[in-house]
Amino acid sequence: MKKNYLTAIIILLIAVILMVTASVDFLNKRRMNKLYPSEGLTKIGKLSNYLPGLEGTNSDSDVYFYDSGNPGSTILLLGGTHPNEPSGYISAVVLIENIKVLQGRIIILPQACKSGFTCTDPMEALPADFILKTRSGNRTFSFGSRVFNPLDQWPDPEVYTHFPSGQKLSGFETRNLNRSYPGKVDGTLSERVGYAIMKLIRNEKVDIAFDLHEAAPEIPIIKAIIVHEKAKELGAMAVLNLEFEDLKYALEISPKNFRGLSHREWGDYTDVLPFLMETSNPIQGRFRGRTNSNLIVYGEDDNYRKALELGKLRIEYDPKGEPLAVRVGRHLEGFNAIISACNEFNPDKQFKYEGIPSYSEICNKSFINILH
Amino acid sequence: MLFTIYILILLLLATIVVIELFKEMEWKKQIAYVMILIPFVLRILQIK
Repeated sequence: MKKNYLTAIIILLIAVILMVTASVDFLNKRRMNKLYPSEGLTKIGKLSNYLPGLEGTNSDSDVYFYDSGNPGSTILLLGGTHPNEPSGYISAVVLIENIKVLQGRIIILPQACKSGFTCTDPMEALPADFILKTRSGNRTFSFGSRVFNPLDQWPDPEVYTHFPSGQKLSGFETRNLNRSYPGKVDGTLSERVGYAIMKLIRNEKVDIAFDLHEAAPEIPIIKAIIVHEKAKELGAMAVLNLEFEDLKYALEISPKNFRGLSHREWGDYTDVLPFLMETSNPIQGRFRGRTNSNLIVYGEDDNYRKALELGKLRIEYDPKGEPLAVRVGRHLEGFNAIISACNEFNPDKQFKYEGIPSYSEICNKSFINILH
Repeated sequence: MLFTIYILILLLLATIVVIELFKEMEWKKQIAYVMILIPFVLRILQIK
């Protein structure tokens, strides 16, 4: 055998070993995290129940139903619309594992963009997951990409044209669930998921819907509640009540000309009152330093802190960091405040529940006594 | 259809890289060929 053939075979074998090792990691990322629903769970459905075309795809998300059996409001809560914004996902998991519904019912999609949980954004050195200390020990949760996995939806067009408005955005946004509403029954995967969620809202006669997000510290809409104009009174009341608890939220009205977003299209195309909440997440920041799972969980970043100390930071940033527990606490406290406002505005159609830890409980005890 | 063409292009490129790998006399350059090959194979198998 020629010498160069022998070296080629040896190098190929080493490459195969590396490929298999990497493949195990990549394939493990497709396994969904095991959740432990509270006793109040009525049933677990699938998104494909609302659009059969999603069956067998990597985006047929689980839908958790908690029905008290007593007439009242129907609530929808979406976590994981953007799988790189973990406070939304973990807030949904906290609800799934703790909530007891007393009146009305709640429907929870913890991983609205399931496909996005199977990869991370390229060129960002992002971790694949993060670990939280819970009652049962250390639990691993997936950290994903802002958009659908390109293995599930490809190729991206040069320019994404939103259906039906015709609004033009960067081609990358074609895989963004929160630019895909109201969706299309025979569209791309993201449009089909958007369509299925709209159909869920209509079929289940959802009254109030939440979409939980995070944003980089330098984005102006962090620590905000974004509402459709038909829900602005409720939003204002919730924000005022949160002020009494020393929690500041900006109230933003959904822009009418920015199409494809949940707070705009859910409100325009259905009877639901939509709310989108944002928290500040340093791992999404462009100025961030070391990027690892600690940054997700503790939210402490040396670059932002140093810039703050030097007086060069023009944004709001807590030098103690933005821990995941605080971000989840803010989402859940916002959820509580909006539900209370809705109950007050509409006493004939209430949603009552218990078992959800308060903001201070989550901040003090983290997730140890809260998650299974 | 577009996806099938994409996979066929990848298969063609991966085959050319493997052929060139065996023609190459310098082991350092052979390592470079394999580094190019890895993402092609993972993409063809739709693992990454």
